[in-house]
Amino acid sequence: MSTQTANPLGHDFGLQLTAPLAGYWLAIFRVLTGWWFFHAGMTKILEGGLTYTYAPIYLQSMTGTVLGPIPVWMGTNLAPLLQFWVPAGETLIGLGLMFGALTRLAAFFGTMFMTLFWVGNADFAHGLVSSDLMGLMLFVTVIVFAAGRYFGLDAIIERTAFVERHPRLRYLLG
Amino acid sequence: MAQPFHAIDRLAMAVGGALILLGVPVLGLFELLDGAPYGAAAVTNDAGQVVATPLIDPNIRTGLVILGLLVFLLWGLYRMASPVMDVESTRREVPAAD
Repeated sequence: MSTQTANPLGHDFGLQLTAPLAGYWLAIFRVLTGWWFFHAGMTKILEGGLTYTYAPIYLQSMTGTVLGPIPVWMGTNLAPLLQFWVPAGETLIGLGLMFGALTRLAAFFGTMFMTLFWVGNADFAHGLVSSDLMGLMLFVTVIVFAAGRYFGLDAIIERTAFVERHPRLRYLLG
Repeated sequence: MAQPFHAIDRLAMAVGGALILLGVPVLGLFELLDGAPYGAAAVTNDAGQVVATPLIDPNIRTGLVILGLLVFLLWGLYRMASPVMDVESTRREVPAAD
């Protein structure tokens, strides 16, 4: 109550499901983030199928980063998997976010992608904060606020008997 | 302190959000379905000549998004100008349970 009194916008922007603005904006934000990844993945599939040959090359070039030898090892040893995983993963992450289904799981994989982009793309000449870091933060925000519960399928999926019996699944949904 | 949501507020939310979603994912889907170029920009060859143009002019799509943001701005200004209702004074006192 004290918060609402101190903050005249607390009612409108509150993060309860009943608050009018927060859920609405999180849904729009989630769909736009999803579209971003869906478009990236789908265009790769349309142009080159499920063999995105640049993926392992990109990871192999990530030498001398804070991630150590991990990306280079992945690019060298998991090349066929990565060629498939990048376009398929981006498309599925995008679909998950747009429809709000398995949202947190999708956003988790989105953070993995964006971490690799952030570390791999940046020379940090303009500081650490880049558009890739902002993209990474978008996915983290989707996870933190369980954006799939707002006008997303997860709002329905979480009410199923199966999820009721296995409440930890909400860490992947929401 | 709160301002109730009226039909005009819901209308602003619907119109502003719809314009943004129309500009980015909805028309983007049409752009994808139309075939290459899948991005929003025209494709040029080495000589700088345009060899393929997108189905929808990117200015239209960005314009829709900016229009949506303008709706939000106007709505925010309207909310600022609207009287604020004191919810605390209208709340009924209820005796505490034992």
